[in-house]
Amino acid sequence: MTVLARNSIRELRYRPLRTLLTVAGVAVATAMLADMLMLGGGIQQSFGDLLESRGYELRLSPKGTLPFDTEATIPGFAGLRDSVAGVPGVERVAPVLALSVGAEVEERGPAASRDAVRTLSLGLDPDNRGLYDLVEGDVPGAGELLMDSRLAEALAVGPGDRLRLAVAGGLDAWGHTASVEVSGTGDFVFATVRDMPLAIPLEDLQALSGLADQVSFVMIRVGEGHDPESVRAGIAAVVDRVEVITLAGISDRLDERLSYFRQVAVILGTVSLFVAALLIGTITAVSVSERLGIIAALRAIGVSRRRIVGDLAAESIVLGAVGGGIGIGLAVVVAGHLESILAGLPGLPAAVRFFVLEPESLAAAYGLVVATGAVAGLIPALGATRREVTALLHREEP
Amino acid sequence: MRGAGGDTVVAAREVTRDYRQGRTRVRALRGATVTVRRRDFLAVTGPSGSGKSTLLHLLGGVDLPTTGQVIFLGRDLATLSVEARASLRLREVGLVFQRFHLLPMLTAIENVELPLAAARVPRRERRERAAAVLERVGLEDRLRHRPGELSGGECQRVAIARALANDPAVVLADEPTGELDRATSRRVLTLFQELNAAGTTLVVATHDLELADGARRRIEVVDGRTRP
Repeated sequence: MTVLARNSIRELRYRPLRTLLTVAGVAVATAMLADMLMLGGGIQQSFGDLLESRGYELRLSPKGTLPFDTEATIPGFAGLRDSVAGVPGVERVAPVLALSVGAEVEERGPAASRDAVRTLSLGLDPDNRGLYDLVEGDVPGAGELLMDSRLAEALAVGPGDRLRLAVAGGLDAWGHTASVEVSGTGDFVFATVRDMPLAIPLEDLQALSGLADQVSFVMIRVGEGHDPESVRAGIAAVVDRVEVITLAGISDRLDERLSYFRQVAVILGTVSLFVAALLIGTITAVSVSERLGIIAALRAIGVSRRRIVGDLAAESIVLGAVGGGIGIGLAVVVAGHLESILAGLPGLPAAVRFFVLEPESLAAAYGLVVATGAVAGLIPALGATRREVTALLHREEP
Repeated sequence: MRGAGGDTVVAAREVTRDYRQGRTRVRALRGATVTVRRRDFLAVTGPSGSGKSTLLHLLGGVDLPTTGQVIFLGRDLATLSVEARASLRLREVGLVFQRFHLLPMLTAIENVELPLAAARVPRRERRERAAAVLERVGLEDRLRHRPGELSGGECQRVAIARALANDPAVVLADEPTGELDRATSRRVLTLFQELNAAGTTLVVATHDLELADGARRRIEVVDGRTRP
C-alpha cells in the first residue's frame, strides 16, 4: 500500500461515525442490488431446473395454454397418442388429467365437514412419476389414490384408509362419487403452496368425471440422442390441434408472465447502484474538499496527479469493498425472508425458488458496487487534482 | 542534471505573471529578475500581495510566467510538460509551506517518506533516508508522532525534512515562520542556517525581518518588481 493510500484509509478510521454510516448505506444498497439480481433470474432458473429434473422434455396442452393453466382439455386422446407415438424420438407419452375434486375421509362420514377438502386431482398413468415423488406406500392402482403427504397429514390418513372423491357439484352435491383406497403418499413437485393434490389412475378420473378419452396435458419423454426441439417440430407437424412446447419454451412463457418481477428487479437494482455511487461519491467529495490544501501541496511538491487520484480512490474502494462485503451477507439473510413471503404466491409451484443463491449473482453485485464506488470516488478526486495548484495554494495559505 | 547551468540553480529573467480574478486581470509580477546560486540563502521580502509567493512558485516550477523566462538547472521551465515539471519539482525542489501541509494521518517519518515514495525510492532505503533527514532537523525522537501530536515548530521541521528528503537542488520556503511564535521562528532560522552551512540552497519568502536578516542575501519585491 502506498503512503498516500495509507493516509486515506486512516482517515476512514479517524472518522468512525461517518465511515460507519457510509458503509451501512453501501451495505444496504448492495444487499438490495444482490437480491434484485437473484430475483431477476432466480424464478426462471429454478423453474427450469425443476422441469428438467423430472425427465420429460416436451408438453402437449390445449392451444394457447400451458399445463395447469386451464381446465380446458384435449379431446380424442387415443388418436393423439397414436399420432405422437409414431414421431421419431418420442420415447414415452404420459397423459395427465387435472381436475378439481372434493375428498372426504370415508369412515368419518360426510357430517365431519372439517375433514372434507377441495383439491386438485391428477389422473395419470400409475407409473408416471414425472409429477410426484413417492414418500410412503405404493403408486396407485385401479380404485386407489396417492395423496399429497401434507394433505395426508392434515386429514390424518395414510395407506389403507379410504376416501370418497367427488367431482362436479362439490362435496355437498356429491354428483359423481367414488370410494378409493389410499395406496401411498407423495410430494407433488409442481404443487403450489395451497394445492395438496391427489393422484389417481387416469381411467378412474376419466370415469369419475365423465371426461372419457380427454386429458389436460401430455408429457413427452424424448429418447436419448434426440434433440427435443426436433422432436417438438416433428410432433407439431403431425398434430396441429395442440400446443407442443419444450421445457425452454415453458420457461420462456413463465418468464414473460413474470417480467414484472424482472422489471422491478432491474429498476430497484439500478436505483441501489445509484444510491451506493451517490453515497461513496458524496463522502469522497467531502473528504477531498477537506483536503484541498494538502492535495495542492502534494501537487506542488511534485507528486503526480495520477498517484494522488489513485490514492484518494483507495478510500472509496475500501468503502465499497467493506460495505459491499457486509451487503452480500445481508442480501443472503434478506433473500431468505423474502423467499418465505413470496413462496405463498398463488399459481407457482411451491418448489420454485424466487431467490437462487448463485455465486455469480453475488460476485456481480459485489463487483458492481466496488467498481461503481471507485468511479464515484474518482470523479471528485480527478476534479480536485485538475484545479490550478497556485490558485489552491493562494486560497489555503493566508 | 545537477551539474547543468554551472553555479546557477535557478534564474528568473524579467518575469511577469498575470492572474484573472473574475473579469479583472491582475498583474502579480511586473518584470522580476533574480538569480539563485548554489549554497545561496536568499530571503525574499516585501509587503503582503507584493508577489513574493508568486515569484517562489515561478522559481520552483509550480507555475509558469506570463512573460519572461525561468531557467532551472539550465532548462527553460516553459519548455517542459506539466508532468516533466512535476518530476523536476519532486527531485530538485523542496517546498516548505506556511501551513506545513502535512498529512494528518501519517506519522512524521511517513510524511517525510512521501516524496521519496513518489520518486520510487525502495521502501527500506526511503525509511532510512527519512529517518536520517528527520534526525538532521532534530526530530529523531518524534519519528512515530503524527502532526496532531507535534508542536507547530516540530511540524514545520517535519515539513522541512520532507522538503529535504529527495536531496533537492534548492529549498523554497514560503513564509515558513508565519504560523510560529518568535522563539520557534528563531529555531527554524537556526536550522536553515545550519542546512545552508552544510550546502543546502535556500530561498525564503518572508515578512519576518529577523529571518530575512539571518539569510546571506536579501531581495525585496515591491509592486511586482525585484529590488536588490
